[in-house]
Amino acid sequence: MHHRMLDHFAAGDTPVHRLDPAAKTVALLAVVLATVLVGRDRFLPLIPTAAALAAYHLFARAPVWYVAKRLLVVSPFAAAIVLLFPFLEPGRPVWTLVLGTWTIEVTEDGLVRAGHLAAKFVLCSWATVLLLATTRFQDVLQALERLRVPRVFVVQLAFLYRYLWVLLDEGMRLRMGRAARDGGVGPWRVRFQSSVGVAGVLFLRTYDRAERIYWAMTARGFDGKLHGTRRPHVHLKDWIFVLGVCAAAVAVVVWDRVACG
Amino acid sequence: MAEPVLELQNVRYRWPTGTEALRGVTFSVQAGERVGLVGPNGAGKSTLLLAMAGFVAADGKIRVAGHRLARGTARDVRRHLGLVFQDPDDQLFMPRVGDDVAFGPVTMGLDAKDVEDRVAESLSAVGLEGCEDRAPYHLSVGEKRRAALATVLAMRPQIMALDEPSANLDPRGRRMLIELLPRLSNTLLLVGHDLDMILEVCRRTLVMDAGRIVEDGPSHELLSNRDLLESHGLELPLSLAAKRGDER
Repeated sequence: MHHRMLDHFAAGDTPVHRLDPAAKTVALLAVVLATVLVGRDRFLPLIPTAAALAAYHLFARAPVWYVAKRLLVVSPFAAAIVLLFPFLEPGRPVWTLVLGTWTIEVTEDGLVRAGHLAAKFVLCSWATVLLLATTRFQDVLQALERLRVPRVFVVQLAFLYRYLWVLLDEGMRLRMGRAARDGGVGPWRVRFQSSVGVAGVLFLRTYDRAERIYWAMTARGFDGKLHGTRRPHVHLKDWIFVLGVCAAAVAVVVWDRVACG
Repeated sequence: MAEPVLELQNVRYRWPTGTEALRGVTFSVQAGERVGLVGPNGAGKSTLLLAMAGFVAADGKIRVAGHRLARGTARDVRRHLGLVFQDPDDQLFMPRVGDDVAFGPVTMGLDAKDVEDRVAESLSAVGLEGCEDRAPYHLSVGEKRRAALATVLAMRPQIMALDEPSANLDPRGRRMLIELLPRLSNTLLLVGHDLDMILEVCRRTLVMDAGRIVEDGPSHELLSNRDLLESHGLELPLSLAAKRGDER
């Protein structure tokens, strides 16, 4: 079985691909901060960020469908909150449904709030997907190490990235093994029980594999550090990029506070 | 006679579940020897490899490249004993092949230039030149196997121990490995059931059964002895069985 990797387009060779991974990671952080700090219900200050991301996207030459698909994958996390706002936020009702003693109202303020939150979510996720579309995951990990992110966190991410697909494959094989015998039908209770069994076996196999990987690492002198071999070269263009993005992010936040606030 | 590069004396181990996996294993391997270790499932072959590297605390005496295995010396022993595990997915744990091959040399404290040289040299030895930037997940099983070999080669161990190196390989991948192994200058210990491979690569074979070494001798002699092999749950290598069939 073969899965599309997270950083499928990261092997490209465009000016934004060639930027230093740490510079791009810091820039991502600046973009996310500038987006989340925009005041409540104000859409105007989000426009420069969207324009900057669109420009970066053009340079990156990543297909729109690629980004859209990944945004869809992470959208359930935001959707749960965004979809609740129109019902929870007090304000002028635009739609009312009366169910006996229950009244459900969708408010105008709630819709604006939901739209604002959705816009922020799209911008932050878009920026993250663009980073991964232009930077190999291992380079992002190395950048995180250079940026002094705690090692235990980076090592966890590295292992998750390396073994996620191996585990998914293993789970898929177990499910196929079950489907080959129950034909995908049968009483729900039996199917539920077998699902629990599949999950249990997968856990045990994961545990075994973790032990074997640890042996393999110790056999080669593992001392708690994962070292990469690529030596980063930070050029002037990387400094210009990261300082430019950070300055623009600060400008957006100041504009939002001073002009729109 | 020179001091053996690997020496085991009366090595015993019982798993915490109570299974007695090793019941007094004794043998030695000279530098440059290529030795096959064969036996049925559950004979204790993989446990023996784990014991040799100090991953399970076995009783008895184990010496690797002059280092007596003990609580404080496991690190030194592992520097000289390159273990290649059965499942290459366990061995290749870094996101890039290049980083994985570099892992051993870097932990050994070599400088960047030496590490780079060793990575290039090891990948070239297994026919994976220029694969430094590939993700292990994107390699075929044969490539993964060779990359796993490169990760251990890069440490230049005095002895390499390979557990079931031909498992899951297609005939071409297997042939590639058979041609590659004799070219490696290291002392080899080949563990597994692929008797044809062991016959081609190793001049000496150890037969293991129920936690003991039951036979030790030239591969062509032991592996052509049908009665001996069958009494230990093995079969004549296909190449020899076919030859006998032709003669008949």
